[in-house]
Amino acid sequence: MRKILAILMGILYCGKTLAVARFPKPDFTSGYQYPDIVHGAPYELLWNILDVVLLFGMMALVVWAAYRKRGRAIILSMSVVSVLYFGFFRSGCVCSVGSIQNVVTAAVDSNYHLPWYVLLVFLLPIVFALLFGRVFCAGVCPLGALQELVNVRNFRLSRAVSATLSVIPWIYLAFTILYAATRSQFLVCRLDPFIGIFRLSGDLGVMSFGIVLLVMSVFVGRPFCQFLCPYGALLSVFSALSWKKLEITEKGCINCALCGVSCPVDAIRAPQRSKTKEMRRKGVNRVILFAVLLPVLTLTGGLLVSGQSDSLSLAHKDVYLYELLRQQEANPDMEEPLEVETFHAMGGNMEELKGKVEGIRGEYKTYAWLAGALIGFVIGFKLLKLSLKRGRKTYEIDMARCTVCGKCFNYCPQNLKKLKKDEKTIS
Amino acid sequence: MDRRDFLRTCSAVVAGGVALASGGLLAARASTKEGEVFWQIDPYKCTQCGRCETDCVLTVSAVKCFHANKVCGYCDLCGGYYRPNVKELNTAAENMMCPTGAISREFVEEPYFEYTIDEALCTGCGKCVKGCTSFGNGSLFLQIDQERCQQCNECAIARVCPSDAIQRVSDENAYKLKDHA
Repeated sequence: MRKILAILMGILYCGKTLAVARFPKPDFTSGYQYPDIVHGAPYELLWNILDVVLLFGMMALVVWAAYRKRGRAIILSMSVVSVLYFGFFRSGCVCSVGSIQNVVTAAVDSNYHLPWYVLLVFLLPIVFALLFGRVFCAGVCPLGALQELVNVRNFRLSRAVSATLSVIPWIYLAFTILYAATRSQFLVCRLDPFIGIFRLSGDLGVMSFGIVLLVMSVFVGRPFCQFLCPYGALLSVFSALSWKKLEITEKGCINCALCGVSCPVDAIRAPQRSKTKEMRRKGVNRVILFAVLLPVLTLTGGLLVSGQSDSLSLAHKDVYLYELLRQQEANPDMEEPLEVETFHAMGGNMEELKGKVEGIRGEYKTYAWLAGALIGFVIGFKLLKLSLKRGRKTYEIDMARCTVCGKCFNYCPQNLKKLKKDEKTIS
Repeated sequence: MDRRDFLRTCSAVVAGGVALASGGLLAARASTKEGEVFWQIDPYKCTQCGRCETDCVLTVSAVKCFHANKVCGYCDLCGGYYRPNVKELNTAAENMMCPTGAISREFVEEPYFEYTIDEALCTGCGKCVKGCTSFGNGSLFLQIDQERCQQCNECAIARVCPSDAIQRVSDENAYKLKDHA
């Protein structure tokens, strides 16, 4: 039966006209008119212009709120706007986090169509991060904004745990790039935990993961941003080197420690004064050790992941099909999977597919090596950074981690003093 | 300038340069013209495997059955309307091909019937399309309803489509209709 169906389908594919001409067009005598059917039009591209304008405007507003006003109210209202507009209304596509994949694909494949607005959605937050820090994360990214709005308590994870977990975004980023560069799949879009909530429908597993994350973010500040978001990892690099540095207060820190308690993402570094000064020789040796370890880890990472490149390449549709076909050949009694059936019905050529798969596997070797090297490098670099001891006299913001939520501004007694003075002048 | 400031400035310049250079390179790749941004099914490639119904990110798929009246034979015994080998040609549920009753027909004149799809009821399962393509003129076909489609960055159905029938299309060709005269 299956074979007959396959042959039938094969015939249908051979000639489209065959399929169309089975029954003649009716000759209507009653003056019957064909009905006019109008199909729903796709959305206007005008929305994309509004997206980019809003993205820019909202980030500029956050910059103004954080650097000039030192207030949280505007940032919080931006979060509401972002969740409503970028989240629920525009249902979250295309977002900056996902645009990494479009950009990587366009960089690899010159035929890939990269619309201008997708490029801007990718670049604008990076430019802002380079100038002012991660203002995009503050209240413009709908994913961050959603977590910000439900956050009530900050149960702090230990430094060791959060330092270990902060490698995950980089691993995620590495695999996102690997899969996008090989045109396999858009990992970020598939695993986006909150898009299901914005669309009110989606894959059950991913949606329940999103709900778990959302419940978690009531008690822990922005778990997705801190321990998962690949775009946040990218932004943190640029933010760490930003032109302007965010200051909690301009009136001088009094080391009250309140800001450190308030920070949901543990981005405020407490003053550090070592009572016994470390031997300089010992410190230098430690730094040299980790500096040597860095290339070793990079190489190891590259070798480890590229060793797995054949099994990783199964994420590509053609490779998966090829493997299914090989399984089918080895075991002909097995029930034919849909992919195999369609492949045969469409008259697919096994040799052609094999050549294609070999090409893809070759690409996977290269990109898997790069992805692994990136992971190894990040681990090495984080270790190197942890090995450095820096003296601090006051509470400082770690720009790489800070998501510019503005909570610390309201906690700082120095800022409150200023506010009171303002109120007096008004009254 | 102390050593740390020097290092910081250097790396900031490098980061800025990298961002600018990659931005410039990508901007050369990016196009301002309205290119192929909408997802659509090529009805001539579609094998009606049924994944359109189950794999769309929307719980009722954005894929719907469309009907090209100008291709339709207006048959009484319609392969998309009745299940194969039905005993009685009536609208009892066990005889109907469509699981949701989205296809209705109206008598035009002897022996012709006009078939209409209620898109609100259609789940995009493609059962009727399979019937029509196998036994009829192939006037029923699956298309992505652009009004419902979320235009995901990567179409979840395209990823699992066994015949690669889903591609990006441009604004003017938002539908790949079979409505040729």
